Amino acid sequence: MGSQGGESDMECSDTECFDYDYYNNDDNEIEQIDPKKTDIEYFQCESLNEEQVERLLNETVELLSNNLQITPSLAKVLLYGHQWDVPEIVIDYREKSCNLLMRTNVKPTLSQSQNFSRYITCSVCVTTQSADKFYSLSCSHSFCKECWMTHFEVQINQGISTGISCMARDCAVLAPEDFVLKHLTRTNLREKYQQFAFQDYVKSHPNLRFCPGPNCPIVIYSKEIKSKKAICSYCKTSFCFKCGTEYHAPTECAVIKKWITKCADDSETANYISAHTKDCPKCNICIEKNGGCNHMQCYSCKHDFCWMCMGDWKTHGSEYYECSRYRENPNIAYESAHAQAREALKKYLHYYERWENHSKSLKLEEQTLSKLRSRINEKVMSGLGTWIDWQYLFTAAELLAKCRYTLQYTYPYAYYMDPGPRKELFEYQQAQLEAEIENLSWKVERAETTDRGDLENQMDIAEKRRTTLLKDFLDV
Amino acid sequence: MAATRRLQKELGDIRQSGMKSFRDIHVDETNILTWQGLIVPDSPPYNKGAFKIEINFPAEYPFKPPKINFKTKIYHPNIDEKGQVCLPIISAENWKPATKTDQVIQALVALVNEPEPEHPLRADLAEEFLRDRKKFSKNAEEYTKKHSEKRPAD
Repeated sequence: MGSQGGESDMECSDTECFDYDYYNNDDNEIEQIDPKKTDIEYFQCESLNEEQVERLLNETVELLSNNLQITPSLAKVLLYGHQWDVPEIVIDYREKSCNLLMRTNVKPTLSQSQNFSRYITCSVCVTTQSADKFYSLSCSHSFCKECWMTHFEVQINQGISTGISCMARDCAVLAPEDFVLKHLTRTNLREKYQQFAFQDYVKSHPNLRFCPGPNCPIVIYSKEIKSKKAICSYCKTSFCFKCGTEYHAPTECAVIKKWITKCADDSETANYISAHTKDCPKCNICIEKNGGCNHMQCYSCKHDFCWMCMGDWKTHGSEYYECSRYRENPNIAYESAHAQAREALKKYLHYYERWENHSKSLKLEEQTLSKLRSRINEKVMSGLGTWIDWQYLFTAAELLAKCRYTLQYTYPYAYYMDPGPRKELFEYQQAQLEAEIENLSWKVERAETTDRGDLENQMDIAEKRRTTLLKDFLDV
Repeated sequence: MAATRRLQKELGDIRQSGMKSFRDIHVDETNILTWQGLIVPDSPPYNKGAFKIEINFPAEYPFKPPKINFKTKIYHPNIDEKGQVCLPIISAENWKPATKTDQVIQALVALVNEPEPEHPLRADLAEEFLRDRKKFSKNAEEYTKKHSEKRPAD
């Protein structure tokens, strides 16, 4: 075997072969890495400003109005009513335009006889005027100009725009944009109408989402409608593109909604039980958790313990982190209803406490960073490396927050999982990630040298655990 | 004011039509936006009495809907202790400016005669109505006899 290895070495020293291999390898490396395949959380989306969204919407409106030879205003009503699905609208329209228009409340379901007399009494204001002062939608319910105007003003001031309908009782026919704007004289109301309509259009468009960041004017566009992490390039807010709430991988949209509602309902009890302070298990001195790490050291007796399970930290090691796993009572089916209720609460509290703990740690991030900053300052002042030498700690803190975030959202996932081997695997991976980020957290908080090798190794492990868990359980 | 002209017309029409289920309409001459009247139901258990209501029209009437309040206590799943009533025809979302007050009153009378326990304002009464109709009718009748107004003679 050894001689064979030597032979192959000799082969490669042959110049021709070497050159060939060299370039070939190089080519392979240049072949772009497709982020879709390597990064499980990769999501392609664009941050658009109002003008760009306007253009995108208008292009669709134009496409449909040209295709069907209808007014842009009517095209808007159809698009708004059918999730901006041009091909479907076109097919429906070609097959049975009448049906489609009735379903979208563009045309009336019952036809109304038209009034041809010279003078008409408006049934809203009971004033009689000549017929040319009267207007109607496709339903032929005639009302005078002034009443239409007041109707639109009142509706717009209540925030209604695309949903404004005819004034006749039981008539659902919608007023298209051109009809509304024709009757509005005050410019501020026209602007208001267009603003509200824009909001309605974006909200009805399956590929567009308003950025949930405070006062952020950006709209996010994505071709795919998936529960993935969309990031606003303007204000950096991230959210789940599908449901528009906080990003929640690996948990699904429906599950996280259920969990958040449950937590809101039960938070009083849970908050009461998981208070902010605990006593040191060894010397019983009261300790407040003021940082992110679960590995606690009593400031009085120097005892190392775990904040979650209050057990000795030594038993946690790095081998098998157990306190993220909930142990269900195997005989619960035979217990009384009262005991079952208590067990249900216990189970919920187990997951809730861990969820809440990570959430609190993340909220303390700013505090952790400022502590880090002042510690680095101290080090630099006392001549231990330069500011740049210590920058790696911030990168580590950032990664730590990212891991903690994913970990937080693994608890609702586990809570709603059915018991079985898959749950066991999930909780095993969760425990692994939990252990690695606790290690990382401890190391970041106590880094004494600019030697970053150890910490970077730990970062790599933590991130690998995180992506492995997502790869195995994130289903989008 | 659009509201005044329209309300004068509606009030005249209603008075002329001689509705049996809504009468004794009182309107203060200085304020046509508030009407008072007597609802006279014809279905048991409410046909043992009559009920005073007040209709308040907003200044933006008929572009915004009127509000209705019961001034007489009533044992009814859709009318609460304060006299508030849940009537879809005058809810802000459903309101149509061309809807006339007599249509609103007809809808109200129909609701009094036929309670709708599917969307109650008083859940306890709705449950009783669905579970034990006999008991509900008995309670409602006793309550009507005790609290309601006298029915007009004819």
